[in-house]
Amino acid sequence: MRKKIKIYLPFLENEFKSNLAYKGSFYLFMLCYLFSPFINYYLWMAIYGSTDSGSIGGLTRDEMVIYVFMIYVTTEMVFVGISEYIREHVVEGSVVMNLIKPMDYRMSLISQAAGTMVYRFFAPTVFVWIGVEIYKACVLGMGITPLSNILCYMLSLLMSFLIYVLFDFCFGMIAFITTYMYGMQLIKDALISFLSGQLIPISFFPEAVGRLFEFLPFSSMVYTPVMIYLGKYSGAELAFVLGRQAVWVVLLYVTGSLLWRRITRRLVVLGG
Amino acid sequence: MRTVKRYLRLYRVFLAQFFKSLVQSKADFFLGLVGFFLTQATGIAFLYLVFRQIPMLQGWTLDQLIFIYGFAQIPRGIDHLFTDNIWIVAYRLVVSGQFDRYMLRPMNIFLQVIFERLQPDALGELIVGIILVVASLTKGIVLVDAVRIVLFFVSILAGALIYTAVKLFFASLSFWIKRSGPVLQTAYELANFAKYPTEIYARFVRFIITYVIPFAFVAYLPASYFVKKEVNPVSTIGVECLIAVVFFAIAYLVFHRGTKRYESAGN
Repeated sequence: MRKKIKIYLPFLENEFKSNLAYKGSFYLFMLCYLFSPFINYYLWMAIYGSTDSGSIGGLTRDEMVIYVFMIYVTTEMVFVGISEYIREHVVEGSVVMNLIKPMDYRMSLISQAAGTMVYRFFAPTVFVWIGVEIYKACVLGMGITPLSNILCYMLSLLMSFLIYVLFDFCFGMIAFITTYMYGMQLIKDALISFLSGQLIPISFFPEAVGRLFEFLPFSSMVYTPVMIYLGKYSGAELAFVLGRQAVWVVLLYVTGSLLWRRITRRLVVLGG
Repeated sequence: MRTVKRYLRLYRVFLAQFFKSLVQSKADFFLGLVGFFLTQATGIAFLYLVFRQIPMLQGWTLDQLIFIYGFAQIPRGIDHLFTDNIWIVAYRLVVSGQFDRYMLRPMNIFLQVIFERLQPDALGELIVGIILVVASLTKGIVLVDAVRIVLFFVSILAGALIYTAVKLFFASLSFWIKRSGPVLQTAYELANFAKYPTEIYARFVRFIITYVIPFAFVAYLPASYFVKKEVNPVSTIGVECLIAVVFFAIAYLVFHRGTKRYESAGN
């Protein structure tokens, strides 16, 4: 275990440092990403203002404010793509170097993604998160989120991150078939944002559809941790949604291993 | 007249080159189109799901909002189709020194930049926009008369010009700061605010998208003229045209100044 950490930790550190190197543009992009929660915030406020019922789709107006901004916090940390790296490695042919090194290619990619996640946590996600808590306590008067919710959220968030990167590894295998992945990326992003609860809470779907979507891996990427944060699950239900996430981690891990074994068997690389 | 003719001929040459590269990768083109299509479709699905819960959104019906959404895609798509190369100026061409090639050819620099590339992905936006507008027409929620038909096309062109002006202005900053891509991206993303009626936003946000980077005049304000009788065409589409012309003139001037002080990167 110790040896493993020694091998993969430098990947994490390097990625963290290279993120730091492009601070200027990074902050502008952060500003861009913040547009979307604010658009959603105003839109939802207008939506709640257009109805007399206190809660829509099982969420009150105040909970929706938390939902919108915690979606931002969660997706920032969870949606760290690795398929783009795989594409680059395939195009350059350097993927072959990763095959001959005595380490696991997927683990090195996941460590890199973890580096980006740690960086994003400090810049600036954690500040948005603190802002949410301050707003929640002072303006909405809901009090600070209990520590047990926060801890369960962090555990869930970690599994969400693994589900996303393991899924993106499987997706990245497409690079071995075609190196033009732009169109496929758009399709992936659209589907994920729709099915994961990023665009709209799953509880807004008609019941049968919603139940189906909850069993896909996508809802475990975003919707589950945010609902845990809001304290919507307790007891057996909480254990169930966490267990479902764990199952997806294992399933996607195994799928990735199988795909990787099949694809590297027929891999031909020129140069590299 | 002769110059216009010459430029039209040149554009044909550029286009021919472009289409050759396009047929090379039909599957890629198709997947890009599907991707854009899906992105838009989820936006519409969002509105449907929300309107299962509420009858109206601040006086707007679902059909009206879908019309605005679709109408907003058309100028965005037109600009996206024809001037996509401006992004590459902002991100790469100036800082890498590749902008040299435009400086050396005996042809208007701005036209060279936009002639060089068509972005077929934009067809995704255009197709979705046209489908939604046609669907709204068949539902009978759009007002149709001679003046409105003419102004519809005027407004689409003016809207596209506003997009181009914003892109050109921020891309031109790279002549001073070398790489203005992220700044351009930030400004461009503001357009997403204009997908919904501006009255849902706080006054501060409304001020920015109306007066600073006037995307409200690309989508929501002109669209409201086509669905609501009481809306005055002068204060919506008239102002839109004025903004388009003024902003484009400013952007072009900045671009022109920038090319004058452009210095190539060493080899």
